[in-house]
Amino acid sequence: MPLTLIDVAARILHVVSVIVWMGHNWANVISQPRYRGILPTDPPEAVREVFMAAARREHGTFRYASLVALGTGLFMLWDRGLLADALLLSGAAAPIGIGVWLGLIMVANLWFVLWPHQKKVLGFVPAPVAERIRCTRVTFLSSRTNTILSIPAVSFMILGAHGGALF
Amino acid sequence: MRLPHDSFAGTLTAALVLTAALVLLARFLVGLGG
Repeated sequence: MPLTLIDVAARILHVVSVIVWMGHNWANVISQPRYRGILPTDPPEAVREVFMAAARREHGTFRYASLVALGTGLFMLWDRGLLADALLLSGAAAPIGIGVWLGLIMVANLWFVLWPHQKKVLGFVPAPVAERIRCTRVTFLSSRTNTILSIPAVSFMILGAHGGALF
Repeated sequence: MRLPHDSFAGTLTAALVLTAALVLLARFLVGLGG
């Protein structure tokens, strides 16, 4: 497959994975607009397996969507020979570079801050109730941090190519 | 303690202020690269 077609495929994957990832994050903002220090109800034993499998699928999907978004984004910049300029925030590549750095911060926040705590909140990893409650605050703030960062990140992803008048 | 994240409006305001600040930074960086 010629590189151009791969590039188009990467762009479509990039857009879809960003929607899946950030869509999940924003859906959470709507369904839980304020912090509540409560745990998700532990499902009854009879449906526990089904419930846990669904929770794993849901959280796994958006977690891995973040890696697809990052990977395809870096690939497209590399393909154009812009990766170094973008990462160094150099000249015309500075706007998209800011988008890349925000994306890197968001992926790191998701995988290294949110996920380890969320495992305990959701009961994937056993933890005392007090510890699980403490983790709900960390996951809440970590998730909201990504919500806040999503607006500049998406803005810069688009402004890099279509925001000529701004820069 | 209630942080800006704790309300929908706070989340949105923080996001927009951050976006505006970064646009100014990007303008500066693009200018440097001339």
